[in-house]
Amino acid sequence: MTGQIDPGNASVLVIDDDPAIRALLHQTLAHAGYRVSEAASAAQALAQRAALAPDLALLDLGLPDRDGLEILPQLAAAGLAVVVLSARDATAEKVAALDLGASDYVTKPFDPEEILARVRTALRHRARLAGGVSSAGALLRFADVEIDLAARRVRKGGAEVHLAPKEYAFLAELAAHAGRVVTHAQLLRTIWGPGHETDVEYLRVAARGIRRKLESDRSPGQSALRNEPGIGYRLDLARG
Amino acid sequence: MSQAHRIAQAPGAVAEGDGLVAGLLATAALIGLATLIGLTMLSRGDVADIGLLYLMPVMFAAIRLGLKPGLAAGALSSAFYNYFFIPPRFTMIVGDPSHLVTLIILLGVALVGSQMATRLRQQATQAQAQAERDALLAGFAGRLMGVTRRDALWDLLAQEVAWLFGVRVLVAAPDARGIVDLVAARPDHGRLDLLEAAAAQWCLDSGRAAGPGGAVPTASEWLFLPVPGSQGPLAVVGVGDPTADLPLHGGQAPLLESLLAQAGLALARIALEEEKLAMGRVQERERLRSALLSSIGHDLRTPLTTVLGTLRALRPLNGQQAAALASARSEAERLERFVANLIEMVRLEIGALQREPEALDLAEACDAALDHLAPGGSIGAIEQAVAADLPLVLADPRLLHHCLINLIDNAARHGGGSAIRLEAQADAQGGVELAVCDRGPGIPPGEETRIFEMFTRLEGSDRQGGTGLGLAIVKGFAEAMGLRVSAANRAGGGARFVLFIPPALVRPVAAEA
Repeated sequence: MTGQIDPGNASVLVIDDDPAIRALLHQTLAHAGYRVSEAASAAQALAQRAALAPDLALLDLGLPDRDGLEILPQLAAAGLAVVVLSARDATAEKVAALDLGASDYVTKPFDPEEILARVRTALRHRARLAGGVSSAGALLRFADVEIDLAARRVRKGGAEVHLAPKEYAFLAELAAHAGRVVTHAQLLRTIWGPGHETDVEYLRVAARGIRRKLESDRSPGQSALRNEPGIGYRLDLARG
Repeated sequence: MSQAHRIAQAPGAVAEGDGLVAGLLATAALIGLATLIGLTMLSRGDVADIGLLYLMPVMFAAIRLGLKPGLAAGALSSAFYNYFFIPPRFTMIVGDPSHLVTLIILLGVALVGSQMATRLRQQATQAQAQAERDALLAGFAGRLMGVTRRDALWDLLAQEVAWLFGVRVLVAAPDARGIVDLVAARPDHGRLDLLEAAAAQWCLDSGRAAGPGGAVPTASEWLFLPVPGSQGPLAVVGVGDPTADLPLHGGQAPLLESLLAQAGLALARIALEEEKLAMGRVQERERLRSALLSSIGHDLRTPLTTVLGTLRALRPLNGQQAAALASARSEAERLERFVANLIEMVRLEIGALQREPEALDLAEACDAALDHLAPGGSIGAIEQAVAADLPLVLADPRLLHHCLINLIDNAARHGGGSAIRLEAQADAQGGVELAVCDRGPGIPPGEETRIFEMFTRLEGSDRQGGTGLGLAIVKGFAEAMGLRVSAANRAGGGARFVLFIPPALVRPVAAEA
């Protein structure tokens, strides 16, 4: 999980109206080597973005002057990776944020380690997009599973595993966003096509097939193919 | 009937009893007087003129005493006139037929006079009765204006009707199910008996008078009349008079109906005021609750986020610090769980739960709950026995997630460190059962239902970090999604909590994608 991103070069804008949370995030990120700036409101956030051109924004959605969802598209359009901070029970809010271009979200109260992991993943993804490099050439591994996106092959323990076409498409889509959550609607639209955005049962069946073929030896709760209830799926390469 | 005089009875009645006797005596005296005057006039005038003298007593009797006394006075006058004055005198024989005319005129005067007088008296009586009624209605309406509560209205209605009509009164109003029940009576009355209740119910349902003298006679002695409202009768009023055949006389029914119409209007006004008041209360309660929700949500969670985040970021320098830090973290996490449960409970209570069911894989849902509870796998050993071909179920992902977290968390805290077993299988009827089992002390007999009530903590479990809300939320959420929840002891020791998904919410797995 280390990587192409040198934290020293990346700058993070922390947008939250609570000074204690800002301070905690500032400390956590600075300690990990990022350059950190802070904004307490939507207006400040937009000003800071223009002035400092940060790489990533940690955005709390409950801002005093405007809803965080309102400035999210502006931040995303300006090329920032946006990681949203949101309450555990705000499922619809998280889906809306992801649909508006957020790279990922972290649920409050958060674990600082999780913040760092999400920030790393979001920055890596942004760097890939900026470099114009397709993920098609990558070789991804979790546990004893290897996904060869170029050859469209999946191996487990060195032996090739045959996935159904939709199962492979599902896994490949998650692999392309490895570590990030992809919403149910995004997955269904990409793999099954427009008009299937609410056919969540397709995803359940495909996920079950993938787990049966690749993770039958995994202990409960340790699947790399993680479902975020009501939101989407995330391929967690750290599992294993 | 001592107070019945307050309402005029049918008009037309004239002097009765002593008044009649006195009138008749006066008439007789007047006839005698007319005869004496006639006798003194006999030497100087015409016999026919003397006949006119008798007009006075006849008119007097007809006007003051009515038709029959008038006719009697006419007949008596004719007889006296004939006997004393018409030749041949001192006989009842009429010699000259022209004198018959005088006799007929006397009787005619009695007839016409008494009728005219009766009509005038009727008009006067009616005018007086109308004035009395108007005054009564106005007075009643005025007293109704001052009433702001239903029970006070019922009481006033019973009191006024009893006083005005001199009858016994029952007031019955429908309860929430539309069944009439006694709400006021004059004099006091026990519960409505079967006959009374049936008549009152019929009157309420049909909106027509029921009982003696009503549209439909009943076996009950009470006459029930509806209190009219815009959407059918609002209540019924029963009147009874044990001393009379009918509780109401001719002129009284329309007046009572007018009174009841007034009462109906007053009731509609009270209902409107009550509704306004209730709406205000509901709004106030909603406002308070949403204020509470956002206050808990923001003011408690924000500092908790900082506390928990800081505790998680801290790296202990030695074993002592590590232990203290672990304890602080676990307490902060417990507090966070409590706040989260509290928010969910408030949502549940105010009916603010959003439900968006989607097809879920229970195995996946269990994984997500385990993930949430123990990102580091610290929850201990988990046995999972989920059928490979388990159908999908329709449920709200967030609510089910919360249910599973609470159930697994409960098993982890009360399970005594043994492995938690998650089982899911379809039953023969097409439903799906998801069970969370532990090997803890189990549930005391008889507590299987109470354990799901709010703030229930079983004996000895208060040191296990429970909030008293977790299982109540499981039950509330499960029921909100149409699922059932139950608890039982497990064969071989421990507790077994079951979420049952009924067949209607089960979706068989479609062909492989």
